Amino acid sequence: MSRTEATQTLRTRLDIPRWSWGVVVAVLVVVWRWAEVSELAASGPGRTIALQALLTGLLIGGVYGLVAMGLSLIFGVLEIINFAHGAFLTLAMYVTWLIATTTGIDPYLTLLITPVIMFVVGAAVQRVVISPAMGQPLENQLLLTFALAILIENALLLVFAANPRSVRIPWASAAIGPLDFPLRLGGAIIELPRILAFLGGLVIAGGLFAFLNRTRTGTAIRAVGLNPTGAALVGVPVGRIQVMTFGIGTAVAAAAGVLVLPFLTLEPTTGAQFNILSFVIVVLGGLGNVGGALVGGLLIGLTQELGGLLFPGQSKLLPVFIIFIATLFLKPEGLFGGGAE
Amino acid sequence: MRRTRFLAVGAALLLVASCGGDGTDGESETATDAASETGATTESGSAAATESGSATATETGGDATAAGCTELNIGSVHPLTGGLALDGTQMDDAAKMAAEDLSVDGLSITISSADSQGEPEIGQTEAQRLIQDGANALVGTYQSAVTTNLATLAQREQVPLVIDVAVDDAITSPDNDFVFRIQPNATAMGTFGAQYLAALGEASGEPVETVVYMHDETSFGTSVLAAFKAEASNVGIEILEEIAYNPFEVQDVTTEMQRVAAQEPDVLVVTGYYNDGVLVAETANSVQPNVRAIVGVAQGAYDLPQFPTDAPDASTGIFDSNYHFDATKERVQDIRSRFEEANGDAMRTAAVLAYQAVEVIATAAGQAASCDGADLAAAIQDVEVAEPLLTFPGPITFDDSGENENAQPVLMQVQEGEVVQVYPEEFAEAELTFPAVPWQE
Amino acid sequence: MRARLAEAQSQLLVLAAMAAILATVPLWLHGSGRTVAIRVLISAGVGVGWNVMGGFAGQFSFGHAAYFGIGAYTGAYLLVSHGISPWIGMVVGAVLAAGFGALTGWLSFRYRLRGAYFALATFAFAEMLRLVVQAQGWLNATQGLQVPVRPESSWWMMQFSTTSPNYYFIGLALVVVLVAITILLVTSRRGMFIVAVREDEEGAAAAGVDGTANKVAAVALSGAMTAVMGTFFVQVFFFIDPELAFGPAESVAILLPAVIGGTGTIWGPVVGALILIPLGEWTAGIVRDPPAFLDAVAGRSGLDLVLFAILLILILLFLPKGVYGSLAHRWRR
Repeated sequence: MSRTEATQTLRTRLDIPRWSWGVVVAVLVVVWRWAEVSELAASGPGRTIALQALLTGLLIGGVYGLVAMGLSLIFGVLEIINFAHGAFLTLAMYVTWLIATTTGIDPYLTLLITPVIMFVVGAAVQRVVISPAMGQPLENQLLLTFALAILIENALLLVFAANPRSVRIPWASAAIGPLDFPLRLGGAIIELPRILAFLGGLVIAGGLFAFLNRTRTGTAIRAVGLNPTGAALVGVPVGRIQVMTFGIGTAVAAAAGVLVLPFLTLEPTTGAQFNILSFVIVVLGGLGNVGGALVGGLLIGLTQELGGLLFPGQSKLLPVFIIFIATLFLKPEGLFGGGAE
Repeated sequence: MRRTRFLAVGAALLLVASCGGDGTDGESETATDAASETGATTESGSAAATESGSATATETGGDATAAGCTELNIGSVHPLTGGLALDGTQMDDAAKMAAEDLSVDGLSITISSADSQGEPEIGQTEAQRLIQDGANALVGTYQSAVTTNLATLAQREQVPLVIDVAVDDAITSPDNDFVFRIQPNATAMGTFGAQYLAALGEASGEPVETVVYMHDETSFGTSVLAAFKAEASNVGIEILEEIAYNPFEVQDVTTEMQRVAAQEPDVLVVTGYYNDGVLVAETANSVQPNVRAIVGVAQGAYDLPQFPTDAPDASTGIFDSNYHFDATKERVQDIRSRFEEANGDAMRTAAVLAYQAVEVIATAAGQAASCDGADLAAAIQDVEVAEPLLTFPGPITFDDSGENENAQPVLMQVQEGEVVQVYPEEFAEAELTFPAVPWQE
Repeated sequence: MRARLAEAQSQLLVLAAMAAILATVPLWLHGSGRTVAIRVLISAGVGVGWNVMGGFAGQFSFGHAAYFGIGAYTGAYLLVSHGISPWIGMVVGAVLAAGFGALTGWLSFRYRLRGAYFALATFAFAEMLRLVVQAQGWLNATQGLQVPVRPESSWWMMQFSTTSPNYYFIGLALVVVLVAITILLVTSRRGMFIVAVREDEEGAAAAGVDGTANKVAAVALSGAMTAVMGTFFVQVFFFIDPELAFGPAESVAILLPAVIGGTGTIWGPVVGALILIPLGEWTAGIVRDPPAFLDAVAGRSGLDLVLFAILLILILLFLPKGVYGSLAHRWRR
């Protein structure tokens, strides 16, 4: 549609591959901020800081990617700007917290329970609230999900009050085999829960990718994302697939919630902070492209951390939005093109 | 009409007080139509005293000195929903509890609650509603933005606002006679923070000379930092680096902590809110920078009993220079235990401040010419609340700007899973340990 | 042409009649009720502004806080730092907002952003403004700007006592002007072009209508209209900070009345504001002072917003064209 058109018109104008602009910009930034770069490179502690920023950027970026994956699927297939994504994440975290504190089981074990519960919640929401609004203008859908977010956040407030909760795993700082956590790598620190969240992100991205590309349901989901009318014509139950897609997207958010709970403090508004970044990442990675979401997340994580080093005193979000706008303008189909489309 | 009725009741009270009687009940339902009837329906007062009282009132008429304030309605504006709802609801409950505790014969205090939702324009609308519904004074609001808004409203509506919690210096001013603040403002927080830090060094025999300052980038963190900076140079402390972060979006401060470690300061100073405070402490525990202590200045987590529970390994030894209820006073212990019994949660300092704010107004009401906003404000300006519930070195009295002249934070430390007051001496519950970091055990 | 003129005349007559009726509100509404009425006017005004871009031009803006904030900050800065009247600030803010809208709009259209992508771009622009403003010391950074209270009322400085109905009258006048601009726009040639581009950009282009120019014009006008209400907001509430001015919550608050009332209709945003703000007050009131059967929930925080969200969802589901839009649609059939 519009995006492909945009691409074509642009292509006739610019012949050099546009990713090379990214390299040019990166080089320019390094030259511009040479004072900061050389200062970091000059001393041992400086190099440790740089290494830490790199590692933290990757780890936190993996978490961003993980959170954004479910959103990317929903955005890509249903074309809904789902502002309730963060609220679903929070809800999943409360479910996990409740299970972990009442039964005493390891919070990671709820990976088998929470996503299932949240799949049902997501599917029900799509069935009851979103699907009647499917043909409606963008702003209606956006406001619906926005209202859902208000509903979930305040229902959680009503039930659990605003007391911050946290779930910490006792084995997070202990020796496991030959590895002593938190891991020290050239002075840089890596905490176990963050590694697990990062690895979990990789596994879930792989699983989701395989599901979308190797199974009949996955193919149907991609077909609906590409062209719902055409999919309906060849006998795909579009409505049901949409319900399923929203459910899966929510379940992925739930898995993300379980994985980030051990290092975040939980409040009814905790998930909302991921919303904005997730949208940025989804656009960067390409709609419905789960692998793209992961890479987009890593990119944003690195931008935040390294941007924080190179532009001290500035908000970490500013470079993120600059990259976002640049991507929208120059490569609106995302850095790697759409996945589901 | 209403006013004369108050005058009558007030005059009756004064007389009863001077006669050594045990006071009258001035509830509105007992004071019906005419001023002359007021005294006749009281429950506990001696009939003779009240009758003569009402007679006096009829005689003195509009003479304000003979009147008083008997029915006090206080509007409580706090964030009851949203991210700050926990403290907001506690503060609201505390205000109600104070009203119940402090209502005596002759002064009935009622609280009307409103939810600011954390939004200035909603806070203002709600406050206006409360004033319209008869609020004689306001307490609130926990957030500087909402409080700033209400301060202007208070001035324009001529209704006193007693701030329980809000830190921005700019909220009060000598031009605004209707706004009073109990807690130490940003300047006091930063200034005392630097002084306590210097005292820590002196006590250990090795002065604190360098710090790295981590703070939230909102007006809270930046204004406290500015005051700390100003005082730091006076007490010989150098700030090696300032590291700001967004308290509502921060999920990882490992890189920031590495920057702290690279500077090798004597002390890491932290200002911010709860979640980010916990994150900073836990990250410090992982990175283990070479510092002698972690000291919060007005840090919103390190003074809470929940902090050692949430971060059992990473909290030990951490200091916080903050406002705090005076744990050494029996009355405070009583209030807090009753609050916890009624509401389930441990009463936080913010809630104690809300209680205190109601007490300030109630005390002033006893000396006010009437419950009228302007009279109350004048009375609050001159009030002296002895035995404050917080660790203030003297009674609560207000200067020209409406700042509490004895507002002062106290230095606390996490010791054996509990937050205890350690400095200044007169409020100390336990001996301070310095140097002290969680990972040196 | 004549039919359009007649349409404009009749709509303007309706507007005049409504204005006359609404002008009586201060006679019977006092205190906080009047503040609520002023919030309705502000909500209606920003909704009317949004509607030009989001409704008539069909360019869904999710970052209108940018324009609102520019208006608010321009007025506040000129007043607080230079003592310049908010009336002048209002004009300057509107011009700046129009310029910002034209620039970002042109860039977005130049790169053919549409739908969700366009919406997210507007959002990003608003967020960038917020981040930039909160780093500016001369704008008092994150602490925001506070309007000084004057000892006496002044029309020139737009400041009155709390009991004065003048805030209400100014708000009403602004909304009337904004609606009148909308009516004149919709019934003008330019307005026809704007709607034609929304419906079929290629077709319009074939007929010689420059799509980009018309869309940019709509964005600029919409931005200026929203900015005006931003300046007024600061005068009413005496305070502005970056989050309040440029935050995502403000962007949502701006598009809510238009969507709830009905986008692309002249009266939709006004109706939307008349529903939304009182609805919020009502749900808050229910929790504060619940009917007997809801006694258990009295004063529970969060409940009012839960109720509000449910009602919002119901309106969106059952009146998808907005309350006014759906009713008008049914009426016509």
